[in-house]
Amino acid sequence: MSGVAVSSDIVTTETAFPRSAGFTSLVRFSLRRERWILPWWLAGMAALMALQSTSSQNFYDSPEKLAQLRSTMSANAALVAMGGPTRLLETIGGEVLFEIFAYLAIVVALMNMFLIGRNTRSDEEAGRTELIRSMRVGRRAPVLAALGIAVLANSVVAVVLTVTSVVTGLAIEGSVLFGLAIAGFGMTVAAATTVAAQMYQNPRGVYAAVSALIAVAYILRAVGDVGNDAVAWASPIGWGQRTYPFVDDRWWPLLLYVVMSAMLVAVAFILAERRDFGAGVFRYRAGRGTASRLLSSPVGLVWRVQRATVFGWCIGVFVLGSAYGSFADSIEQFLADNPELAAYLPDASDAVDSYHSLTLSIIALLAAACGVSCVLRARTEEAAGRAEMILAAPVGRVRWLTGYLVVAMAGSALVLVAGGFGDGLAYGVTIGDPLQAVRLAASALAYVPAVWVIVAATAVVVGVARRAAAVAWLFFGYVAVAVMFADAFDLPEWFDRASPLRYTAQVPLEPFDLGQGLILLAVAAGLSGIAFVGCRRRDLGY
Amino acid sequence: MTDDAVIDISGLTKSFGHTVALDALDLTVRAGEVHGFLGPNGAGKTTTIRILLGLLRADAGSVRLLGLDPWTDAVAAHARLAYVPGEVTLWPGITGGETIDLLARLRGGVNSARRAEMLERFELDPTVKARAYSKGNRQKVALVAALASDAELFLFDEPTAGLDPLKEAEFQRCVRELVSEGRTVLLSSHMLAEVEALCDRVSIVRNGRTVESGSLVELRHLSTTSITVETVHPTAALASTPGVHELVSDGTHARFAVETAQLDGVLRALADLGVVAMSSSRPTLEDIFLRHYEVDSHSVAGTS
Repeated sequence: MSGVAVSSDIVTTETAFPRSAGFTSLVRFSLRRERWILPWWLAGMAALMALQSTSSQNFYDSPEKLAQLRSTMSANAALVAMGGPTRLLETIGGEVLFEIFAYLAIVVALMNMFLIGRNTRSDEEAGRTELIRSMRVGRRAPVLAALGIAVLANSVVAVVLTVTSVVTGLAIEGSVLFGLAIAGFGMTVAAATTVAAQMYQNPRGVYAAVSALIAVAYILRAVGDVGNDAVAWASPIGWGQRTYPFVDDRWWPLLLYVVMSAMLVAVAFILAERRDFGAGVFRYRAGRGTASRLLSSPVGLVWRVQRATVFGWCIGVFVLGSAYGSFADSIEQFLADNPELAAYLPDASDAVDSYHSLTLSIIALLAAACGVSCVLRARTEEAAGRAEMILAAPVGRVRWLTGYLVVAMAGSALVLVAGGFGDGLAYGVTIGDPLQAVRLAASALAYVPAVWVIVAATAVVVGVARRAAAVAWLFFGYVAVAVMFADAFDLPEWFDRASPLRYTAQVPLEPFDLGQGLILLAVAAGLSGIAFVGCRRRDLGY
Repeated sequence: MTDDAVIDISGLTKSFGHTVALDALDLTVRAGEVHGFLGPNGAGKTTTIRILLGLLRADAGSVRLLGLDPWTDAVAAHARLAYVPGEVTLWPGITGGETIDLLARLRGGVNSARRAEMLERFELDPTVKARAYSKGNRQKVALVAALASDAELFLFDEPTAGLDPLKEAEFQRCVRELVSEGRTVLLSSHMLAEVEALCDRVSIVRNGRTVESGSLVELRHLSTTSITVETVHPTAALASTPGVHELVSDGTHARFAVETAQLDGVLRALADLGVVAMSSSRPTLEDIFLRHYEVDSHSVAGTS
């Protein structure tokens, strides 16, 4: 029955728009592929919005508190740079968006970037599109189908965010406008990704280019929000924030998204018409004919494959650390305004160091995430059949897995130091003490043993089981919840007992405890041993 | 069993969940021979090779590789063998030349002269990143890495899939050189002409079992010769002659297959019928393989 429907679809679109033939079938097919991925993004965005909306309305439950917040925020460039234009702070709904809009914009941007990338260049590079295009499918159809999915996904984003906003008690008009603004930004990123997908042969190139664009958009809006408003108008994130939902409810900036998306899609189609299948505007460059000294061992290979990822984490966490650090000096003022926030801090009496130890814990979590993904790479290599090439050489399984552990441990330590350094550097600049960079980078090292325990625990999962990723991330998620919410939400005392970060001194608030550090290192070593034993016992390589 | 066996497998069994991949498989490869390893898709060839590499653990049976246990002595065994997988996946951002060097260094060092020779013979550009290689070129990377090594034993899992005929011929020359140097080759392949040209002995597997093993001469002997004949007397009587199969009889004309071992008796019976004209064709290797492959598809269809 569906076969009849599909063929009639092809015939009708084929005669009317030959270059788009097969569009409907491809959309249906993509929807099927995306059905387990998109719901997670949507749920994540709804959760972010719901949390922010309820907690903001709890904190700032009176106009006086909101006014106080406005004066604190206006005086703090770092917070404005992370949030949005202070004009939003005039109503409670606007306050919610001040805090969450930029984050939601980044989430929706990543969702759209990966969605389009997966459905266009990744398929083309892997050869799947070739199979599709050999059918009665037009040249434009795969791109159009990807955009069709993006339109659907962003419509659902708009609905989900509007509903979340209304349900948590915000005004309807502003909620609809806010949902559409986020969806509009998502659509613009989707359109930009289709352009990048025509230009780069390699999906990683597409993601790198679009990520850079998102970063530029974020920075331009930060600059505009802190200083000259005109700069923010150069950023599509700025457009959405300048609809001022719940404050002015300005609708016309949404048109900018429509115009921009249409222009980008047009550019993508022009490029697509001119290029050969599989090619891009930028060609692959030739590489070295022989390997450098570094690429001589399993560790060398893992480092080579993972180094870009590790550096990416370092840069990202450094930037985040700087953002945190730039705020550290104002923490006491902020706490005086919002005593409720003290619940998040381990010891409000020494607010600054208490805040630093909280940011270092969060940086430690991100470092652990970098380490976890490095170790899980072993499993990806195994499933892809590449591990077989290494293991068929005289390389033992322990040596093979050690390569991933070493890079994961070194990489996560590097990320920690980068984050601590950024935190300290920004803090040092605000208080005029450059040595803070060294102090906090060194403090960050105190978290290394705990992070290594998480990394080694991931190795155990990889060593023992084949479906490692889900279990490893589940444990990571548990540790993250334990670190961030155990105090604030009054979780039971036993809740964080299995979290290695519980057994880490909260440096710089508390002094580093060498004994605890050694015990954690011993645990990491023991877990690594279990990982090796497991890895030697199971079937490998498929 | 034999003293000079480089690979000696007997009663090898391996299951994945409820799927039985290998069901008491036997395989013996002697030193210095090229051994063809044949069978339809899913017969268990790749699983066997992965067990030989120590990647998978055997459920039952005995496996010796270069006199070692492939599971416990994997590293020692791997130092003496080279492997080309059936489907070569490489690291996308790393060039072919770098990959070849990495694999060579893991084996103990790069033989630059041999590496250059192989790159030349297979016309492979080592400066291209793996993501830009075609399937055939990825295959060449693995082949160059293996052939440039000084291994005693070579495990090839469909090594020429994706290669053009000239490179395929080059591969055959390489294998002959390896054998002339006294090395041993296990060649899993569907290219029957390649197997016929290279292999001293072959083993045919089906559903995880070895169904035939021996030299090509022996296999021919075990198979059938097809005969077309015209006689004076009606040919229907042939139906009861031992060794005659697939008889199509039409008055004084007949077409049938004879077990090669029974050929003599069948010819005597034919002589009694008064032969007017006769043609016979010896089985090609293809006939032998197809017979096993077809039986397999029949049994899958449930007709056997």
